[in-house]
Amino acid sequence: MAALTPTVRTPQAQRDRTSKRLRTSISYLILYGTALVISVPVIWMILSSLKAEPEFIQYPPIVIPNPVRWDNYFHALTWIPYFKYTWNSTFLATIFSLFTVFTSSMVGFAFARLDAPGKGKLFGIVVSLLMVPGIVTIIPQFVIFAKIGLTNTYWPWFLWGIAASPFHVFLFRQFFTSIPKELEDAAEVDGATPFRIFWQIFLPNAKPALATSFILNFVGVWGDWLAPVIYLDDVKTTLAVKLATPTYVNPGDPSGHILVTLTLAAAVIYTIPPVIMFFIAQRNIMEGVVTTGLK
Amino acid sequence: MANTLQTTSPTYAPKTNKQFGLRLRSRRSSRQLAFYAMISPWLIGFLLLGVIPLIVGLLASFTNYDGLNVDAFKWLGMRNYSRVFQDSEALYAFQRTMLWSALNVPIWLILSFTLALILNQGIRARGFFRTLFYLPSIIPAVGAVWAWRLLLDPNNGVVNAIISIFRPGTAVMWTTDYALQSLTMIAVWQGAGVGMVIFLAGLQGIPRELEEAAFLDGATTLQSFRHITIPLMTPVIFFQLVLAIIGSLQQFALPMLLAGGRMGSVPPRAAYFFVVHVMRQIFTFSRFGYGLALLWMLFVVVVVLTIIVFGSSRFWVHYEVDIAGDK
Repeated sequence: MAALTPTVRTPQAQRDRTSKRLRTSISYLILYGTALVISVPVIWMILSSLKAEPEFIQYPPIVIPNPVRWDNYFHALTWIPYFKYTWNSTFLATIFSLFTVFTSSMVGFAFARLDAPGKGKLFGIVVSLLMVPGIVTIIPQFVIFAKIGLTNTYWPWFLWGIAASPFHVFLFRQFFTSIPKELEDAAEVDGATPFRIFWQIFLPNAKPALATSFILNFVGVWGDWLAPVIYLDDVKTTLAVKLATPTYVNPGDPSGHILVTLTLAAAVIYTIPPVIMFFIAQRNIMEGVVTTGLK
Repeated sequence: MANTLQTTSPTYAPKTNKQFGLRLRSRRSSRQLAFYAMISPWLIGFLLLGVIPLIVGLLASFTNYDGLNVDAFKWLGMRNYSRVFQDSEALYAFQRTMLWSALNVPIWLILSFTLALILNQGIRARGFFRTLFYLPSIIPAVGAVWAWRLLLDPNNGVVNAIISIFRPGTAVMWTTDYALQSLTMIAVWQGAGVGMVIFLAGLQGIPRELEEAAFLDGATTLQSFRHITIPLMTPVIFFQLVLAIIGSLQQFALPMLLAGGRMGSVPPRAAYFFVVHVMRQIFTFSRFGYGLALLWMLFVVVVVLTIIVFGSSRFWVHYEVDIAGDK
C-alpha cells in the first residue's frame, strides 16, 4: 500500500481527482437547482393561498402573508358547493379505477398465464395501443356517446373502466408473469377454474400491483380536465373543471374578476388527496411506472 | 415469438391413457375458452370504444357532418382534406405544435436523463431527491398550471419580480407572448420526474461488471459513458422518445388551462396548438367533419414520425442481444 501511494500523485491521477470533484459539485448544483425549481411553485402557491386578495396583487410580491388568512380555506369550501364537486370527482375516479383495475388485472392474468390461439397477436394489439394517439378516438367516441344519449351522464366512465387500460394490462401482465408456476399448479390439480385461480390465488398476491394501478388510475381521473369538460355540465362536472374555470367570483361583480386566493386555497385542498395517495404507495407506484416505461 | 408462447402442452400427460388424455384436452380447450372470456372486457371495449369510433370518425371526416344535420348529410369525398391546406390557421397551429414538440421533447429527455445519471452515482439523500422530483407528476395539471401562473404573471409574478431586481421595470408577457416557453417549463416540471425514475431503473439494470471491465482497460469515465452507458440505454431512450413525441403532438389541456379552462377559451397565439384548432372546429363551430379530417391528418403525421423514429432506431438503438456476443 505504502509503495503505491507515490504513484497516486501522478499528474494524471491528480487531474482525475480534480475532474471527479468538479463532476460531483456540478451534480449537486444541478440537483439542488432542480429541487429549488420543483418546490418553489408549490410553496409559492401555498403561501399565496394564505394571503388577503389586496396583499396578493401587490408588486413586488410579498413572500410571507401577513396576516395569515386561514379563513381563505373556509371560504374556498363554502363559496361554491365544494363537497358536491369533490363527491363528483371521487365518485368518477373510484368507479373508473375499481372497474379498470379489475378488468386490467384479469386481462393481464390471461395474457400472462393462459394460452390460446391468437394470443401473441392480441397482445401485439395491446402493446401497439400504448402508442395510438388517444385524441383520435376521443372525438368520434363523443359523437357516438352523444347520439345514444350518454353525454352528461357518468356512463362513459363506467364503460371506459370496464374496457380496461392497455397500460395497466401491461403492468399486470408483467407482474403476474413473475409469479412462480408452483403457486397455481396445486390449485390446477384440484380442478380450479382459471378464473378461480385468478381470483383466489393471483389477486391476493398482487396487492402492490393492485394498489399501484388503483392509485395511478384514481389520480389520473381526479386530475383529468378534458373528459369532464367535454361530457359534463356545470352541475355534474368535477373539481378539476371547476378550479380551471372562473368559479370563485363575487356574486355582485359584473366584471367577473376571479378571487385568486380563494381559488388557490381550493386548488391546494384539491391537490392533497393525490399527494397523500402517492406517499402511501410511493415505492410501488414508481416501480409500476418503471414497468410500463421500460417495456 | 408468438409460437413459443403458444405451445405449452402439459408435460405430465401419459399418452397411453386415452381417457386421461381426453380429459386433459378438454381442460386445455376450456382453458383456451377461459382466456378469451377473461380478455373479453378489453377486447369488446377495444372494438366498441376503439375500432368503431375510429371507423365512424374516418367516415365522418369525408362528410359535412355538423353534429345535427342528419337530413342534409352529404358525402364530400376528399374535400375536407384538401381544405386543410387552405386553412392558414391549421397550418399555423401545426407549425406551433411542431415547434412545441421540438422544444419540449428534447429538454424533457435531456433533463430527466441527466437527473437519472446524477442519482445513479452514490448521491446522499437519493431517495429524498427521487421523491421530490417525482412529486409534480402527481399534482393535477389544473393545480400545476395555477402554481405556474402565479410565478409567470406579467403584472405581479415572481419571475418578472426577480428579473426586475437586475433590470427594473421588466414586464415580460410570459403567459401570452412566451406561452410556448412557459408551457415547456410546466410540462418539463411535471414530467421530468417520471422520465427520471424510468431512466434510473434502466441505468441500474446495466451490469456493473461492464463498467468495471472498462475501467480496468483504462477507459475514462467519459469513454465508459459514451461506449457503455449510452448504448445500453438506447432502447429505453427510444421507447420514451416515441411516447413523448406522440404525447406532445396531441397536447391540448395545458394551453387550454392556461387560457381559462373553458371549452371555448382560446389560448394565446404562441400556444395555438393543432388539437386546439381541431377542438375549436368541432365544439365552437360544429364542423365535425372538418375537425375529424384535421385529426386524421394529425394521426398520419404521428404515424409517419413514429415510423421515422423506428426507422432511425436501426442506426442508434442498441439491442441487448448484442452484449451476449463478443462485440
